[in-house]
Amino acid sequence: MNRYLVERTFPDGLGLMPTQEGNGAAQTVVANNAAKGVTWVHSYVTPDKKRTFCIYDAPSPEAIRQTADTNGLPVERITEVRVLDPYFHY
Amino acid sequence: MTKGDLLERDNDLAALEAAFADACAGTGRIVLVSGEAGIGKTSLVESFAARHHDTARVLRGYCDPLLTPLALGPLHDISRSLGTDLAAQIDRGARTSTLFAQLLDTLLAPIRPAILVVEDIHWADEATLDLLKYLGRRLDAARVLLIATYRDDEVQRHDALRLLLGDLATVRIVERLQLARLSRDAVRALARDRAGDTDAIYSQTGGNPFFVTEVIASEASGVPATVRDAVLGRAARLAPGGMAMLDLAAVIGARTEYALLEQFPDIAAAGLPECLALGLLQDTGTGVAFRHELARNAVLEAIDTLRRRALCRDVLAGAIRAGYAEQGYAARLAHYAEGAADAGAVIRYADAAGRTASRVGAHREAVAHFHSVLRFSDGRSTAERATAATNYARECAVVDQLADAIAGYRQAVALWSDLDDPLKHGETLAALAWPLVRHGATAEADTAAAEAIALLEPLGPTRQLAHAYRTQAHLRMLDRDTARAVEIGGKAIAMAGGLGDIPTLAGAEMVVGAARLVSDDAGGRAQLDRCLDLARDNGLDELTALARMNLGSAYGEQYRFAEAEQELLIGLAFTRDHDLDHSGHYMSSWLALTLLFQGRWKEAAERAADLLDQPDLAAISRIMALVALGRIRTRRGDPGAREALDEALTLARSTATLQRLAPVHAARAEMEWFAGDPGAVSAEASAVFDLAAARRHAWHSGEFLYWRSLAGETLSHCDWAAAPYALQIAGNWKAAAGLWRARGCPYEEARALAAGSQTARLRALELFDALGAAPAAASLRRTMRADGRRQVPRGPRASTRNNPFGLTNREMTTLGYLVRGFSNAGIADELFISAKTVDHHVSAILGKLGAASRKDAAEIAVQEGLYAKNGEEPA
Repeated sequence: MNRYLVERTFPDGLGLMPTQEGNGAAQTVVANNAAKGVTWVHSYVTPDKKRTFCIYDAPSPEAIRQTADTNGLPVERITEVRVLDPYFHY
Repeated sequence: MTKGDLLERDNDLAALEAAFADACAGTGRIVLVSGEAGIGKTSLVESFAARHHDTARVLRGYCDPLLTPLALGPLHDISRSLGTDLAAQIDRGARTSTLFAQLLDTLLAPIRPAILVVEDIHWADEATLDLLKYLGRRLDAARVLLIATYRDDEVQRHDALRLLLGDLATVRIVERLQLARLSRDAVRALARDRAGDTDAIYSQTGGNPFFVTEVIASEASGVPATVRDAVLGRAARLAPGGMAMLDLAAVIGARTEYALLEQFPDIAAAGLPECLALGLLQDTGTGVAFRHELARNAVLEAIDTLRRRALCRDVLAGAIRAGYAEQGYAARLAHYAEGAADAGAVIRYADAAGRTASRVGAHREAVAHFHSVLRFSDGRSTAERATAATNYARECAVVDQLADAIAGYRQAVALWSDLDDPLKHGETLAALAWPLVRHGATAEADTAAAEAIALLEPLGPTRQLAHAYRTQAHLRMLDRDTARAVEIGGKAIAMAGGLGDIPTLAGAEMVVGAARLVSDDAGGRAQLDRCLDLARDNGLDELTALARMNLGSAYGEQYRFAEAEQELLIGLAFTRDHDLDHSGHYMSSWLALTLLFQGRWKEAAERAADLLDQPDLAAISRIMALVALGRIRTRRGDPGAREALDEALTLARSTATLQRLAPVHAARAEMEWFAGDPGAVSAEASAVFDLAAARRHAWHSGEFLYWRSLAGETLSHCDWAAAPYALQIAGNWKAAAGLWRARGCPYEEARALAAGSQTARLRALELFDALGAAPAAASLRRTMRADGRRQVPRGPRASTRNNPFGLTNREMTTLGYLVRGFSNAGIADELFISAKTVDHHVSAILGKLGAASRKDAAEIAVQEGLYAKNGEEPA
């Protein structure tokens, strides 16, 4: 399983709201992902909600594209990444 | 415990009942019952079957733990209970596809529904697994419940079974039942009449039902430590006559048929009643059997070696007297012969069993049988040893044990040479060439084929010589040495035709046809069609698949992707109908490449990814799927291209053929281009360039030259390179783009347009954006900005312009040309799209503007202020 940063652009802004409806949409995405072994870890969204940076665990970039397609989400760029954090534990 | 009174199996029985109800309603079902030895798989299935004897046809087949299993053993059992002659047909040399189809027809007969039980498939031979796969794919509309049982702890050791289970996992009608051990309460209930500590029985047996019942039946005071101790404890209560009977049955096997038992009247009379009374053996209707293989094993292991050998000798003699050799049981006779260390009998029966196994497709079992023959052949004549080595090598080659195949053939070659038999010597050398080339030893293979021809030619026309020619032609074709392949293949065709040797004739037509086709020689197609006709009329299914495969890949190598796709789809349908999975996988990998080049990346990526998930994918299929995936990742800018193409390179190097190395190096050159490393681009594009050029492979050479020119190399003119690449290298982007468009390759077309005029570049951007070719699009946008163009379209989503008629960008541009009075052909030329696409845009414009004609549309455009009269956009 690899970790990926997925960049997406929403020209009209991302519609996902912290409401019951929004939660429902998010859970649909999670279920569709699971079918392909893809896990949406979390995302960062720009204040204008036009760009998102999403962290995913997935078996391959193709799996991410396939689930994005199922979920009707755009994919601008996929980059494989590793975690690096500033707090080293000895 | 009485029959039909199983503890803690209610849920499992209910699952079987539900599956059977589906089957009765016309939806065939498959249930895989698994669990450790002694867990009660057979008891469950028997208990279930007993409930349905009146309503269903219950058919049973058993896989036996022989040294080497009997090929299609379960089919023998089923055939006997059906009263058909399927088993006899195996010995008469019937094709397995015919046998399988007959069994399927029997199962589909519109009488009572069928329950087909195949027991212990962890001991199954390869042909039986083929049968299960065949049925698994064809029962979905049959009134059939197929139940297969196996020990799940044996699966890891049995590759072929693991693959079958993986294959069945994709079949919707399959359900798995994994049987659990008994609970503490159940063990207590079973042991309630027994004195002593029932909890100790539970902890010692772990709730394994067979172990529990053996402990209880042994009536020993303590609890035996192992199931073996429990069984032997129970057997120890037998009188000497009973013990002799039990030993005899253990040596005979899982089941002892009455026909065989009749050969031992004294032993049976003295011991059988006691064994049955104590429950150590059970009456099965056609013979007697141990309650469980665990029990037989315990008894067998307790017999000392010398006595076991003597018993095997007796059983062998008895089985021969009972006519087992004539009833298709050579594999069992070989098993007894090995136990008796009777070399003559091993050779006779293992050889016969090996031939049968090979014929029905149980090639792993054939390898084992022929290996036995070889091991026992030391004292035999040179000719016998040479034949044994050849048979062994041939089967090893089929199951991809290439090193063993090569060693076996080499041994046979040396022996035939000693015997001064040039016909056999030459024939074996030609056979040796094939595993050598698949092992990557191309040069040695060539030598072997050439030596074979040198030995055979002085003998005049023979089938052996025709076959040697065909082999050498095939090697030349694989190496894309068209001239030699056509020349030598022509000799094979003439000779095989004269001798009426259809398989060699058809194979040679295929080889020569494929060789000509990859060189863009149209006559190749006719030859491949002749091969297909011969193969169809003579039932040569594997050759049919091979010919389709070569048609597809040859068109693919010539960048004729529409034709390639068509051939591959026909071939894939054929391999699906005939369960030729390996050929199907290879065609699928080429289909992925074909889709990629036609710009259908999503389909291509999904097909390649699915293929790479296949557990038994052959190296050649893996290489081509990895090339497709690597190229798509490169073109999309996705991560993982290098991993895919590194693996492809390692695999391609081991094949050492241009056919594999060229596509891999070309894909790697493209990857290095986007990595921004011209030195690496050059290195990849030069790695096998000389070979491709020597073979005059116009497309491989063309792409390599293209990358080398991009990487800044100065190249001497190469006029035989494929036209689109040659034109592009020469700077004629417009003609190159036109040729790519004609071939239906949008990415390559866009790449050509990107080197062109401003309008061409805008079209290139459109194509790149539509494909999702992010790196190429980004690079072109940078170039355009650097060249001073201020308004570079931002991307596919940002470029919709508003107009009151809802015209798209492309339609607006087309409308501009209409105002200026351009014809469709003229617009097509300006916009680098086909006339048909322009037609499409014009119809859309007419519809949206409500215009009656092109002229009408132009007038509306001016009236509404969309365009000025000269076709300029209004300020």
